Amino acid sequence: MQFPDNAGYMVAAYLVTAVIVLAYATSLFLRLRKHR
Amino acid sequence: MIGRDAALRTARRGGVVTVLALLGLAAIYVRALVFTPVERFQGPAQKIFYIHAPAAWAALVAFAITGILSLLYLFLKDRKLDLVAASSAEVGVAFGMVMLTTGPIWGKPIWGTWWTWDARLTSTLFIFLLFVGYLALRNAVTDPGTRAAYSAVIGIMALVLVPFIHVTVYWFRTLHPQPVLVKPSSPSLPGVMLVTLLLSIVVFTVLYVGFTMQRYALAVLRELKAEEVARAVS
Repeated sequence: MQFPDNAGYMVAAYLVTAVIVLAYATSLFLRLRKHR
Repeated sequence: MIGRDAALRTARRGGVVTVLALLGLAAIYVRALVFTPVERFQGPAQKIFYIHAPAAWAALVAFAITGILSLLYLFLKDRKLDLVAASSAEVGVAFGMVMLTTGPIWGKPIWGTWWTWDARLTSTLFIFLLFVGYLALRNAVTDPGTRAAYSAVIGIMALVLVPFIHVTVYWFRTLHPQPVLVKPSSPSLPGVMLVTLLLSIVVFTVLYVGFTMQRYALAVLRELKAEEVARAVS
């Protein structure tokens, strides 16, 4: 079956999500470490 | 407000919940990208839906909880309510960033444009900017009581927007697709895709809980330190 060729957008969206989520998780970890 | 030991315990528990949710997110990536079939008309870009919609869900839940807690704060004046509301707002902004970046990345190949100023997209951007303003305001006001009261007002204003955003696709002409899950009729997705979406919503919700627990613990530790400094100065 032929699909539209737009896998690049899918990869970009999943990468951006991973970057934002991991960056926020790291930011929380580092900020909390400063107060321990 | 809770003490230092309880805040550290909450931070640890929040960390555990976050790590579990991040592992769940990795599993969602594998399930969505490898085991969920490609949609025939939209192609691989349709799979953006499995992260975009749950991120939007988590952001709007976070904003709604901030609004409800803000309302309660104005009646009860409990600092804990204010700190949880602020924590939820910051986490909501993080999920809002995911929502507002993955949406246009999906829109470009499917609509042919990154952005359009229709009711759904504009109101979503508006609530996001409202909460960016909420966080800026909290950093600008130093007195805890004034800060809590001002930010509670913004939180309540934003709470009104949450149900409005949901109904924009019914009330206005918009490019944005109609809800596939939260609607009166049964979900309009094939079984495998629906399971991926539901699992992703669960993972993003758990991630929201883990982040908010950690952010709340951080807020308490900051307040305790500020009180300590104030006592030392006086």
